[in-house]
Amino acid sequence: MDTTPNQGRGAALTVDALGVDFGGFKAVDGFTMIVNDGELRVLLGANGAGKTTLMDLISGRTRSTSGSVYLYDKNITNWEEHQIARAGVGRKFQIPSIFRELTVAQNFEVAGTGEPSVLKNLRLGLSAGAKARIEEVIELTGLEDVLGKRAGDLSHGQMQWLELGMLIIQDARVILLDEPTAGMTQAETLKTSQIINRLKGKHTILVVEHDMAFVREIASKITVMHLGKLLAEGPMSEIETNPAVKEAYLGSGGIH
Amino acid sequence: MTATLNHRRLLEIAAYGLFIVVVLAMPAFMDAFWLNRIGKYLVYGMLGIAISLSWGYAGILNLGQGLFFGLGAYMVAMSLKLQSYTSLQQGSDTPVPDFMLWNAEPGAVTDLCCISQASFLWIPFQAQWFGLVMAVIIPTVVAYLVGSAIFRLRISGVYVAIITLALVLLVRLLIIDAQPLTNGFNGLTDLGWLTINGFEFDPYLVETYYLIAGSLIVVLLAARWLVATRAGLILQSTRDDANRARYLGYSVAAYQVFFFTVSAGIAGFAGLLYVLSAEFASPTFMDLAFSISMVVWAAVGGRSSLLGACIGAILINTIEATVSESEMLKEAWKAIIGLLFVLVVLFLPRGLAGLSQDIVGFFESRRGGKTAAKPGIAASEAGE
Amino acid sequence: MADVIFIGLSLASILLLIGLGLTITYGAMGVINMAHGELVMVGAYTAVMAGIYLGVNLLVALPLAFIVAGGLGLLIERLVIRHLYGRMLDTLLATWGIAILLQQMIRLEFGLSFFDIHIEGLGPGLQNLAIPAFLNQAWMIGDFTVQPYRSFIILLTIALTVVTWFLLYRTSLGIQVRAIMRNPQMAAACGIDVKRVSAYTFAYGSGLAGVAGVMMAGFKTVAPDMGSSLVVDGFLVVVVGGVGSLLGTVAASGFLGQVNGLFATWTNDILARAIVFGLVILIIMWRPQGLFSFKGR
Repeated sequence: MDTTPNQGRGAALTVDALGVDFGGFKAVDGFTMIVNDGELRVLLGANGAGKTTLMDLISGRTRSTSGSVYLYDKNITNWEEHQIARAGVGRKFQIPSIFRELTVAQNFEVAGTGEPSVLKNLRLGLSAGAKARIEEVIELTGLEDVLGKRAGDLSHGQMQWLELGMLIIQDARVILLDEPTAGMTQAETLKTSQIINRLKGKHTILVVEHDMAFVREIASKITVMHLGKLLAEGPMSEIETNPAVKEAYLGSGGIH
Repeated sequence: MTATLNHRRLLEIAAYGLFIVVVLAMPAFMDAFWLNRIGKYLVYGMLGIAISLSWGYAGILNLGQGLFFGLGAYMVAMSLKLQSYTSLQQGSDTPVPDFMLWNAEPGAVTDLCCISQASFLWIPFQAQWFGLVMAVIIPTVVAYLVGSAIFRLRISGVYVAIITLALVLLVRLLIIDAQPLTNGFNGLTDLGWLTINGFEFDPYLVETYYLIAGSLIVVLLAARWLVATRAGLILQSTRDDANRARYLGYSVAAYQVFFFTVSAGIAGFAGLLYVLSAEFASPTFMDLAFSISMVVWAAVGGRSSLLGACIGAILINTIEATVSESEMLKEAWKAIIGLLFVLVVLFLPRGLAGLSQDIVGFFESRRGGKTAAKPGIAASEAGE
Repeated sequence: MADVIFIGLSLASILLLIGLGLTITYGAMGVINMAHGELVMVGAYTAVMAGIYLGVNLLVALPLAFIVAGGLGLLIERLVIRHLYGRMLDTLLATWGIAILLQQMIRLEFGLSFFDIHIEGLGPGLQNLAIPAFLNQAWMIGDFTVQPYRSFIILLTIALTVVTWFLLYRTSLGIQVRAIMRNPQMAAACGIDVKRVSAYTFAYGSGLAGVAGVMMAGFKTVAPDMGSSLVVDGFLVVVVGGVGSLLGTVAASGFLGQVNGLFATWTNDILARAIVFGLVILIIMWRPQGLFSFKGR
């Protein structure tokens, strides 16, 4: 595994001319982006722009065919998912990816062992430190009352928070959020933005979103993707007035 | 809700306790002949545990568990063969199995090293401990190698099942083909008895039964502990959503390999014990029908419950033995099990153990448990 | 050398015959039918019973067995398989249970044994079927002995393969089957009655098994367990060939049959089969979807 330092900047996440070619179709094409430590970056783009594929590439779910990905100083290009996760990347999926057959408490337990190896996990119960952290997160996500419930029986909003909670316990340095408020009510969205804002600063966050009101809540810098390529990058004010962006969203009357 | 959980725990402990008491008390009710038979079924129970661990918990359906069972059986049988009276009476420095003598070229040296081409492979088995140790180690190592190859390739469930199926058939053929080494179709018979500190474990002695029963109980409790560890929970999570488990940093392949290997080791140990009871090892241990039967027992008993799968295996075989006075009843019982199996696959994935848990849960919720959560797989160890 | 190839060919054609029905159900419906061997067995028993009670020979038994086995397949599909679509492992297990049931049904003569009623042609014992005389006389082409019965099998297999190909690629029913193979939801959206077509497909594959059974009865003893060893062979052929690929099944059975034949001549039959199994394992590990598949279900 190549650990040559990238450009010496030590940015949290460096995507360098990343691309994937699915038999002629370039879902992501020469994409470059640098996300700094502690930053919260929003990734915008129409459906099919390649946002989820980008996250797949960064997190190891899909093999890239060109370019590279750096996590701080480490070149994590095409590492396996669990290796990238251990290196410090967490991800929240569009459709809540939780352990539906296990209880909520067990979900948190699995997320919170703090130890990936099989042999080291041949113990009963969690360490005291792990327990304390999990307690905190349970409070944060407000799931105290449903700890014994089967995760698959939770409401949609609760599932999203469970997944977020697991991410927080995972304590990943870089967090990828794929439409964290999909399917949520306004109240739920508000709570989610509160949780995410608490994460800012200590974690580096890359968020894919469509809900513009939510984006205004949380965003500082925005990256816009189109047809697998980088279209524009900058603060909200710039993006809103960018003609190329407007053209890409032609027909939808610009961004509301 | 905590009350329901503790209640469940209590029921589970009671079930395990009852099982252990019944198994240990058997000799009081059975004659030597039946005791020996029950001993064999206890070994099947151990196989049920192995299947439950692999299939119910890890989600790996092994249709060739007989491979590991057979390997374990042959390893110990080789040692015991060299201890048999006939082998020792060959008038040479080393004991020589009878079949090697029969198959030898005229004029061949009557010695283990050289009587046939590969007979030297038998030499270390002269030490009884070697056969005993190999019986657990060889299946474990084979499983580790096979598992590593398969799971790192992320081959999906049904193809893993097919590969294990082809594998057991492959090895079965190899063993049959290696006639000079294994006595082919006939298997290894005329074995000596396991001897520890001078005590001989005659298959019909009550001590032999306790050896088997004790081993079963130890394996059962060890497996139960294993699934209660964090590793056991993580394993279940990999079965639930392998992708999410990976994204949390767990190498799903590593967990699958580990539990697949442990399951194989248990099956190998079961093979060892079986030989002690049945006094032979044969390629029939690797018949496909036998391997799938193990899956049937575990499914009917309840694959997600170690105790359920264990009891399922023991009961199904005991009942079959009871009715086998009549040839027709025996065949009819097999038909019933076939039907039960189909019904279990269609409607009762957690088997009869799951059914009884649901019944218990039903009565609990009627008595007024507020959030009587439907038991997930992790809670499925409770009750019976 | 020609002998070796001929043996390989006849082995291949038996594999193909069995595999043909299997591949249709596996490819079209994602169903791994472990009872396929028992359907072959049912075909064989149909021929035996037809011989005893109807006095007809093997050739007449062919369409009869197709109907009986096909009907049985329809029943199995309706009662069991229908509930398990998309669950490949579960169909594997459930059909294994059905296989056990079918075997026992024959052994117990559908339960009549209990009442001491015995039906000739059934029961746990062995049965035999005579090959009609005209297929029994070996004849010579130059140096080479032609086994007429084996030749008949090869010819019949080719004929059935062609018929199946025709049905699949030249009829409207075939288009529907292939549409379901590629994308069942879209097929349903296009108005194809997926349930009905799947049922017919499964019945057809089962019917083919019945025909294979009649053929086997000609040179193998008929017994309740004659089917159990078959399903593994046929099934491995199908998996190696690939999901939903008729060409794949033909190629795979040809390939595996030849490999078996070749190694059998070189070492022995047992080792040859072991090598074939080893090869299958490697192929599945390398390409689980089979050598000739496209993305199906």
